[in-house]
Amino acid sequence: MEQLDFEARGVSKRFGVVTALNDVSIGIAAGEVHAVIGENGAGKSTLMNLFCGRLKPTEGSLYRHQAPVTFETPMDAQRAGIAIAPQEVNLVPRLSVAENVVLGAQSGGSFGIDWKATRARALESLAQIDDTIDPDVPVFTLSKAQQQLVQIARAVATDARILIFDEPTAALTQREADRLFAFIRRFREEGGAVFYISHRLDEILDLSDRISVLRDGTFVGELDPTTTDKDAMVRAMAGRAVAERSATRATTERGDVVLKVDGLTRTGEFRNVSFSLRRGEILGIAGLVGSGRTEVGRCVFGVTRPEAGTIEIFGKARQLHHPADAITAGLVYLPEERKQDGIFPLLSISENMGIATMEKWRGVFGMRFSDMVREVETYIRRIPIKVGDPSDPITSLSGGNQQKVILARWLMKESRILILDEPTRGIDVNAKLEIQDLLRGLADEGLSIVYISSELQEVLDVSDRILVMHEGLVKGIEPAASATQESLLALAMS
Amino acid sequence: MSEAAVSSVRRKPQGLAGALAKFRQWDASGIFVALIVLCLVLAVAAPAFLSQYNLSVVARQASFVGLVALGQTLVLLIGGIDLSLGAAAGLSAIVGGLMLTSVGIHPYLVVPLTACFGFLLGTINGFFTARLRLNPFIVTLASWEIFAGATLVITKGYPIRPLGDAFQWFGRGEIFGIPVPVVIFLAAGLILSYVLARTRFGRNIYAIGGNRDAANLVGIRVWRIEFIVFGLAGMLASLAGILYAARMNSAQPSVGEGWLMGAITAAIIGGTSLRGGQGTIIGTIFGALLMAVLANGIVLLNVSGYWERVIVGLVVLIAILVDLFRRR
Repeated sequence: MEQLDFEARGVSKRFGVVTALNDVSIGIAAGEVHAVIGENGAGKSTLMNLFCGRLKPTEGSLYRHQAPVTFETPMDAQRAGIAIAPQEVNLVPRLSVAENVVLGAQSGGSFGIDWKATRARALESLAQIDDTIDPDVPVFTLSKAQQQLVQIARAVATDARILIFDEPTAALTQREADRLFAFIRRFREEGGAVFYISHRLDEILDLSDRISVLRDGTFVGELDPTTTDKDAMVRAMAGRAVAERSATRATTERGDVVLKVDGLTRTGEFRNVSFSLRRGEILGIAGLVGSGRTEVGRCVFGVTRPEAGTIEIFGKARQLHHPADAITAGLVYLPEERKQDGIFPLLSISENMGIATMEKWRGVFGMRFSDMVREVETYIRRIPIKVGDPSDPITSLSGGNQQKVILARWLMKESRILILDEPTRGIDVNAKLEIQDLLRGLADEGLSIVYISSELQEVLDVSDRILVMHEGLVKGIEPAASATQESLLALAMS
Repeated sequence: MSEAAVSSVRRKPQGLAGALAKFRQWDASGIFVALIVLCLVLAVAAPAFLSQYNLSVVARQASFVGLVALGQTLVLLIGGIDLSLGAAAGLSAIVGGLMLTSVGIHPYLVVPLTACFGFLLGTINGFFTARLRLNPFIVTLASWEIFAGATLVITKGYPIRPLGDAFQWFGRGEIFGIPVPVVIFLAAGLILSYVLARTRFGRNIYAIGGNRDAANLVGIRVWRIEFIVFGLAGMLASLAGILYAARMNSAQPSVGEGWLMGAITAAIIGGTSLRGGQGTIIGTIFGALLMAVLANGIVLLNVSGYWERVIVGLVVLIAILVDLFRRR
């Protein structure tokens, strides 16, 4: 029996009647990278929240060096040498990078903070992750990816011996991710232990020494990364084989142009962006974080105003002053940041889905909510979405199911043009394929889709044509059938 | 998990158990129970509490602050706050009084005209907060001073009186034995409850309070709704002001002093969240009634009036503690 540094024995976590984790035993040894995989809602994040002291187990206990420990707060877990780099960025926007890195752990005596020592420590942690970030600028000026890296540096700065990474690479470019992997390998050499959670299975095969699989809150088995492959991992997570599907869409002649963007410009965001979208077509927009792809999507939807250029929707030039104008014209947008821009956390599942379509159920005596719920239920079955009752709060759903609700919000609107910004971010493999299949089916029925994503493979899988953006410029448009990841990257860098 | 289970839609329990569960989930159940218990205790300890005269005094007292609280609830729901409502009530009472005495407008027209004036006052706040995106706390702090100051400039500190017998009906009259201000308060509450629960405008208010950015991105014209909400709050405050003046037969510059905090308190103990997106009209109505019953109980039980504010403070603390434990 190997010597485990830290382990959970028979832990369960229940929220009311919902069992998030059921009798899970899992451990980690020094010098090990232990990947935990599972679909959305499998209990990965709940388990990690138990490890870092954010939640307490309903049953079972945690052991550090074979001795039982109880974490009342994240501070207790940190004292035990466990720190987490959470999925959601959780920084103080107005404070400097350095201050954020050492927040809550500033060096100093009783008469104030020793800024010199504090700064030195922050710089040291930051340098291990990314030395290109200026430690003195406020965090809100950083890109999403850089903020994620600062978050990781903060976990490193606690001098933890066990680090938990929850989807660390979701917002990172390949270069940044590679640096992170190098750090993780170094940390492992030095005897550190890492819990690693990711939906990117390649990364996991590359990095981990051991893979644990969770499904519906229970531990279903362990895989050996030296012998397993992606298919086996997906099967273990889903408990079933994933349906095969055709590689690329048949490129038939599509219909009329429904959206035409010409010379769209916003200083500092993008310049001279032109493209057209035909009926029944999926146009992928690929580009790194900061390439301007999201900004173009928001501008075409009327969230921001273009400084130059025109937008034609169904052959009619439109001045969009508000998203409502775009929606009226028949174009809708699914935002990148689900939590911040997508869901209404205090409203129910059915209201979240029906919020954009309220006029449909307007009656003489006010809203006909029963009709709304009936239609919501048909969409829940059609997509399908895993829900309890449609009147439950949306926050009771896993991320993937929340995303499906928001997607259904626009399908219900019966808009003919969808702009989807990172529609599958942070969603597990199966849900991702389900959403992609759904979108291809919708395109076959005549919907036109702009599919924005930073994952090249995903854009290749879904689109008919791919527009590549880099630093605010359109670098080219390629048919998906002949494009590869390499050709797209080459185009971006050209 | 099987495919069938994935797409199945669970049903909630029906019948009495369902009704009980529903009551417990109801946002206003706590304040409702508290109000009933307090009334029962007072009915036993001070039998005078249940006399028709006393009850109508309590209800009328509740209706002035209550009207302001209804408006405050709307503003809190969109995630704002309006500190100027008490002063808006005062200024409206004065302007209404001048309409009667100096301009000579028919008494029955004065109330709706004052309400329109109140709506205008509210939309001043709405313009700065909703259109220009300035912080509502700061904007309404400023307009509070301006409205209160304008009242003094107009009146030079003297009340406008008398307002005439016909007009007094709005403050002292009764409809089927119920005081007119109470009828107007309950009618406003009923209409707003309906609007919030059943209309698109109402649901959009909750959506904006819950997530403003997302509301904008689903095509809700956020600033228009916020603008109207501030206008409605001003209108409800002006109604309270003019009805109170009718009750006193005198539009005094001091009308509305002390209503602001009472209104916020009523909304909060009624379950409205200061962060927006959460709260109900019925909760606020119960909150306003609870405050009026408390004040009345202090008088009836011969407790020194100086204790009233201490007790109100304690009630607020208890209310948020109960809420905290219910959430756990």
